[in-house]
Amino acid sequence: MKRVYAKEELCLNCRLCEVYCKTAHSQSKDIIKANKYEDPEPVSRVTVCGDKMLSAAVNCRHCDNPKCVEACITGAMQKDKKTGIVRVDEEKCIGCMTCLAVCPFGCIKTGKFAVKCDLCCTEDEPACVKNCPNRALVYADFGGKG
Amino acid sequence: MSINYIPRRFTVVRDKELCINCGCCVRQCSNECHYYADDGKTALVNSNACVACHRCVDMCPTGALRIEKYVCDYRENANWTPQYQQEICRQAATGGVLLSGMGTPKPYPVYWDKILLNASQVTNPSIDPLREPMEIRTILGRKPEKITVEKKGKSTVEMPPQVILETPIMFSAMSFGSISLNAQKSLAMAAKNLGTLFNTGEGGLHPDLKDYTDCAIVQVASGRFGVHKEYLQNSRFIEIKIGQGAKPGIGGHLPGEKVNVEVSNARMIPEGSDAISPAPHHDIYSIEDLRQLIWSLKQATHNEKPVSVKIAAVHNVAAIVSGCARAGADIIAIDGFRGGTGAAPTRIRDNVGIPIELALAAADQRLRDEGIRSSISLVAAGSFRCSADIVKAIALGADACYCASAPLIAMGCHMCQTCNTGKCNWGIATQRPELVKRLNPDIMHERVENLINAWNHEIKEIMGGMGINSVDSLRGNRLMLRGIGLTEKELEILGIKHAGE
Amino acid sequence: MMNYVIVGASAAGLACAEQIRKEDKDGRIILLTKEEYLPYSRPSISYYLKGKVTEKDMLLRKPSYYKQTGIEIVTGAEVTAIDRKKKTVRAGRKSYHYDKLCLCTGSKPFVPPMKNTQSKENALTFLDLACTKALKKKANKDTRAVVIGAGLIGMKAAEGLSKICKSVDVAELSERVLPSILDAKSSKSVKKFIETEGHITFHLGDTVTEAKSKGGKITSVVLKSGKELPCDLLVLAVGVRPETSLAEKAGLEVNRGIIIDPGTMRTSDSDIYAAGDCAVSVDMLDGSKKIIALWVNAVRQGKAAGSQMAGGEGATGGTFAVNAIDFYGMRICTCGLINAAGDKYSDRVIQSGESYKRLIFEGNRLVGFVLINSSENAGIYTNLIENKTDVTTLSGDILGTPSLMWFDKETRKSRLKGESA
Repeated sequence: MKRVYAKEELCLNCRLCEVYCKTAHSQSKDIIKANKYEDPEPVSRVTVCGDKMLSAAVNCRHCDNPKCVEACITGAMQKDKKTGIVRVDEEKCIGCMTCLAVCPFGCIKTGKFAVKCDLCCTEDEPACVKNCPNRALVYADFGGKG
Repeated sequence: MSINYIPRRFTVVRDKELCINCGCCVRQCSNECHYYADDGKTALVNSNACVACHRCVDMCPTGALRIEKYVCDYRENANWTPQYQQEICRQAATGGVLLSGMGTPKPYPVYWDKILLNASQVTNPSIDPLREPMEIRTILGRKPEKITVEKKGKSTVEMPPQVILETPIMFSAMSFGSISLNAQKSLAMAAKNLGTLFNTGEGGLHPDLKDYTDCAIVQVASGRFGVHKEYLQNSRFIEIKIGQGAKPGIGGHLPGEKVNVEVSNARMIPEGSDAISPAPHHDIYSIEDLRQLIWSLKQATHNEKPVSVKIAAVHNVAAIVSGCARAGADIIAIDGFRGGTGAAPTRIRDNVGIPIELALAAADQRLRDEGIRSSISLVAAGSFRCSADIVKAIALGADACYCASAPLIAMGCHMCQTCNTGKCNWGIATQRPELVKRLNPDIMHERVENLINAWNHEIKEIMGGMGINSVDSLRGNRLMLRGIGLTEKELEILGIKHAGE
Repeated sequence: MMNYVIVGASAAGLACAEQIRKEDKDGRIILLTKEEYLPYSRPSISYYLKGKVTEKDMLLRKPSYYKQTGIEIVTGAEVTAIDRKKKTVRAGRKSYHYDKLCLCTGSKPFVPPMKNTQSKENALTFLDLACTKALKKKANKDTRAVVIGAGLIGMKAAEGLSKICKSVDVAELSERVLPSILDAKSSKSVKKFIETEGHITFHLGDTVTEAKSKGGKITSVVLKSGKELPCDLLVLAVGVRPETSLAEKAGLEVNRGIIIDPGTMRTSDSDIYAAGDCAVSVDMLDGSKKIIALWVNAVRQGKAAGSQMAGGEGATGGTFAVNAIDFYGMRICTCGLINAAGDKYSDRVIQSGESYKRLIFEGNRLVGFVLINSSENAGIYTNLIENKTDVTTLSGDILGTPSLMWFDKETRKSRLKGESA
């Protein structure tokens, strides 16, 4: 499946991926409303970790054998058999955050529910990739079954 | 704190309504103009160090930032302008030579803007470059004096080494050290894809660029940094740098703090030591000495590579060019005084040398008059801002043009003229790893290629309009040029008629 | 064609069935559950109690899923006997033939002996949906509830009830709340937080010894300390024990739980497997054999058993405790050896405001953590424990937010590619 891959040698630590992810996962889809006024505040699913010398945008690997899915006590976290996307069913999720406790990449964030990358639910490039100013994020299929 | 005698130059204006406090500006400004309030969330601005590089403006996702000129009026004085007063204050504070980057910003006449181009009407047809072949392939190198052929028509002349370019535009010398490896690599990649050449400057050739030696011009300058046999052999041609348009008569100085491991390896000097290029080559004190060096370099490369001599455009440029030609140079590059630099003493940059237009016209004429024009190729350098400047230069006699500032602008340079500080926010004129990585060669080579391809299209368009289908027919074709608002003397030197004539 | 029978349809049973289907497309899979519901999320019952989720949302899979994947699920089928010779299991009047059998019988509530609590209509356990529904029916705004036990189940019941009932008292024999997942220090602050947020009264180091009743209904309880609490609803949540009666009856080897070979998931009968809370696991951190009653452990064991039953080579990998839970918005995440004692263990603590972080080390290895309101990227800690990473090889402050940047370049590269652990 296609996944988002981060290249740390090109990451600028500008964190625009976070801004655009937040916007893409907001109600209004408007960058200013999403980042300033929306309540509840949208959560970015991608996180740039590191500092100006060394950084990388970390987000869900959509693992072949996802630990978060194993650990999910409600069946809310599922890996889509067709697309390979690991998604949270917000109706089912009770926000216990066991998924967070087992994700070895640190890709799940706390919100009302478990919040994580859904690859923007599109065939196109996800917002983080589309808006990375230095092509430090690429959306590509480097193997791994879906 | 002592009094700051110099008002700041710019004000960064943050539109609070648009700012989402994402902090991108805070993390991007190497001059630390943007910072967080104590809450760690609210972005604030301190404009004092702003150089108007526009990194924050261009990166801001909501367009919340604007840079304004900081207007602080001095009592009007046409002689003691604010700039001179400020420079005096700066020197009063430091006691040092003023340094600047990029080409001179002073309003000297730009002759390109006073030269107009011709087009065909009725008496001869113009050509549509989209429908008919249009040749801009350019060949550099010494041409034989005469051609002899055997009976079947095959040439029996032994051709000196030639360099074929798919465009008359090459990238001028910018050393690794003055610019980042990523910037140089972007140029190398673009040169390879465009079928032209980039120039290593005097910084040696970094091993990462070994795949690009076919399109590298390697420089031998007064410091002889990074010069060894393989360096000379791994090139398309060799260039002896005598002078640079932005700082004629001056050597170079790369401060030790910029000489990191990579730079030190490429230049073959100890890490952290200052890289000082002497003002003269200490083995060249005459044309004869130059001849000897040219000969040595040719020997070192089995006479397989042309040797170029690059000089700054100075007063008696024509005679010097003639001397260089006679010393055995195959290519002579003349660098006009508006040319750029990574760092030059401001006074030199703004006052020494002459414009490329006049130098080029004079040199071309002199070589023709002496009947040795075809023994060398002339490369013009020193600020080409658009394709029309290139066309005019070729019509004035250039075989090809060196461009540097334009591709740098394509890579993000905003002419903030602070290359010498090493804090280039665009990752160009810096060796700081956190800044260098901002310049992704995979993106930038595409942008540079786009620029040169666009210029190629325009050159073809202009040539077609003139009814010319080959750049060879344009070369030295001064009938295609007319001056406007120029004096008799200027027209005479440029060798062109006035508009209307 | 193989006949697979699985007894119990919660985490382990369902994972086992799914794994068999993954590796054996044709085999017949029969999933037997004594409950009246399709597989649902048992840990969600406390959220059901406080009305945060509906019954439908608790289902682990859509009802149509089982038909689509060819898993025959039988509800209301309590298996009462295994005939190991004939290879059948009996549930009610029906019997099912198996080639491979997996026992995923889970736990049963442990009810300590106390006087006068048997078969009282307002004394309930809190383990499955049925008893939660009963509890919900009985609880109202005038109810004075008493919960016995301040472990995960008791505390979750108390939290749920505190939103409905007039008052909630919790009696716990131990000196602290959540003794299995919290260390002494953090349990103190958690207790305080829950007292203020939930208006719950704790009686620690104390327990109910006797109930007073009237007409089959408990009216008050007497504590060991002599206190008497009025009680309209008594929740028995002292703890759970592995449900092993079926295995014992069938003559399988059982001690605290069903004994299995951790490599093959087999019980003492090579055609009978066991997985989940009813089976004994080996804690990879200290090598002890114990019951690790944990969702993720049950899923992994179920998967491994399923794979082994279908002839595959699935294994559980290292097992250790990981718990994440929240009370009134306070997030608790703990893992590994939380109450490790002895010279070979050391710990580091950072505390500020409402957040608390304690890391437990054995030499240079992380072996446990307690995170309260500081669970950001906790999975990275878990991974350090699982991989037995030497923490001195990490750059950055281990008490800070766990980060990819702690690792060396090679590790970072493989992590960014998605190769983990």
